[in-house]
Amino acid sequence: MMQFSILGCGIWGRGLQGFSALRSGLADPAFVPRDDDYARPKPEAISARERRRSGELINLAVQVAHEACANAGIDPQLPPSVFVSSMSDTAITDYMCRKLVTSEKTLSPTKFHNSVHNAPSGYWSISAENRAPSSFVGGFDYSVGAGLLEAVSQSHAARTPVLFVAYDIANTPPFHDIQRIDESLGVALLLNADTDEGDAGDPAMQPLARGALRYETGLADTRDALAIDRGNIVHPGLSDFAEQTSLPGALALALWCASRGSVGADRPIQLAASAFGQLIIDPKPDR
Amino acid sequence: MTVTIAAYSLTSALGTGIAGMRTGLAAGESPLTSSPWPGCDVECFLGRVDGVSLDAVEASRRSRNNALIELGLAQDDFAATVASARSEFGADRLGVIMGTSTSSIDRTEAGYHDLDAADRFASDYRQPRTHNPHAPGDYLASRIGARGPCITISAACASSAKVFATGKRWLEQGLADAVVVAGADSLCLSIIYGFHSLQLVSPERCRPFSQNRSGISLGEAAGFVLLTRDSDAQRPRVLGVGESCDAYHMSSAHPEGLGARLCMERALADGGIGLADVGYVNLHGTGTRANDETEGAVLAAMLAEAKPSQQPLVSATKGWTGHTLGAAGIVEAILCLNALETSVVPGTMNTTDPDAQFEVLLESCEAAVEVAMTNSFGFGGNNASVVFAR
Repeated sequence: MMQFSILGCGIWGRGLQGFSALRSGLADPAFVPRDDDYARPKPEAISARERRRSGELINLAVQVAHEACANAGIDPQLPPSVFVSSMSDTAITDYMCRKLVTSEKTLSPTKFHNSVHNAPSGYWSISAENRAPSSFVGGFDYSVGAGLLEAVSQSHAARTPVLFVAYDIANTPPFHDIQRIDESLGVALLLNADTDEGDAGDPAMQPLARGALRYETGLADTRDALAIDRGNIVHPGLSDFAEQTSLPGALALALWCASRGSVGADRPIQLAASAFGQLIIDPKPDR
Repeated sequence: MTVTIAAYSLTSALGTGIAGMRTGLAAGESPLTSSPWPGCDVECFLGRVDGVSLDAVEASRRSRNNALIELGLAQDDFAATVASARSEFGADRLGVIMGTSTSSIDRTEAGYHDLDAADRFASDYRQPRTHNPHAPGDYLASRIGARGPCITISAACASSAKVFATGKRWLEQGLADAVVVAGADSLCLSIIYGFHSLQLVSPERCRPFSQNRSGISLGEAAGFVLLTRDSDAQRPRVLGVGESCDAYHMSSAHPEGLGARLCMERALADGGIGLADVGYVNLHGTGTRANDETEGAVLAAMLAEAKPSQQPLVSATKGWTGHTLGAAGIVEAILCLNALETSVVPGTMNTTDPDAQFEVLLESCEAAVEVAMTNSFGFGGNNASVVFAR
């Protein structure tokens, strides 16, 4: 069991352009992200020259990563980071595979170097001048749980806040039989280990939420859990929206932050279930 | 706490299994071949694993990485060793960390030859657990019956060096009692044409750290290491791991090698040692001018602080294996472990005219090495160094 706090949150999706939009949406029971209310992010931290090379997936990740740091009041040069995505950059996968079935096969060098799964992490580190460790973690349909486990584990080991960034972009027909994603979504959380010796971070930072993470194998009884990976989010409009994304667990974590830790506060949050195990967040850990 | 290397196995162009690798090293010839890759007209040399035929991969409906994993697991009794660890600790306590860059892109490439009118994959290619970044880690865990935490780390050519950082931490924190850390990457059109687009593919066998270096030769491999907390004095151990980012450019190393220096310093500090304690350094050494000059300058500056009597043996081994991308970390980790265990230190295959401010080991030699360090640097400016001790 590893205890942690969430110090900052960033989000970008349809109708959810920033953490304050999420908070006001959550406060309005009738809120529904409007169909026409998605604009691809243009993170200012990436120079205009570099932004011509970075696609939607990279911009989404970098946008929310910077927002989470600003929201927590931490220097973006500092935190190590863990980036996760269920399908990664399917726009580039599609581009490369289409080129490679032609006789010419010539690839754009920029698109090729952006095709590595850690491209968002690379653009982030450049834009933040951050030289701390950074990884892309794949977990497919349990990416949020896999990445959160890795981020919380790193924070406990390094005694420093760690940035967790989850994102996917809406995809096209070849991938609909793999994992259909209708909504682009990015969520970033600045996580911090809570230990017996106190938080690792700046005591001036007020956490948005606190919990304890445990990894359980087998299919433990989670009937009392808030099964947020199935989109069981109490807000109807946001619950429907979560179902259109590949990362309902990430949206639920952002909602947990937006509600100052009160969503699911009396019930464990089941974060990810896979063939191998599941992550459970206990929102009221025994201190 | 000691993080022990309980077992390891490698399948690469050098040979199938550890015995094959040792035979390949002893043969003293570069296995890189110019025989053409199907569908590819880029002039290049490749480090191929001959035991995995393209037709057999296609017939099995596997990705080439999963076929490499399958072949690799069958070597050195590795699968049996892991099975006995699973019995000892329980499947729930056996974790898996895969490092890969290509995941299963070759299978996705193949699927695009057969899209239907609605742009959907043909039924044979509708394989959710194959066409996603986590596919090789998921496959390995299924094959060995691991039910502990399982992730895939993708950080380009640093991927399977970084698996040691996570594996060591999981054991230290008690998230698992045994962890299989692995690396798998395979040849496919995406990477050959991709590196060709960056003008980095050598038309000759790669010559790392040569005055006449001409770029990279791509390769493929699957390697596995079983990590445990056993304090078995007979086995090598993971001493330290360091990770960093350049924060400079997506596909060019930082000109002063800031990130490369940081990850080496962090790995040495994590192991509680200095560079003077290291007996062998396996360079990233891709054979591109940008990598070799930067990595060489950083290491030269660090070595200048050590006494002449404390200079380690230094070599780059991609002339033996090709650049196996996301698998390069574990390939070179295993070459380090082999040097610790057999005292055979691999030379810099294909290079005869070294270009570095330190002595580059050209011919393999016998030397008792107590501590070895390997470097891996990837696109995105992502770097990792790992230090092993006998």
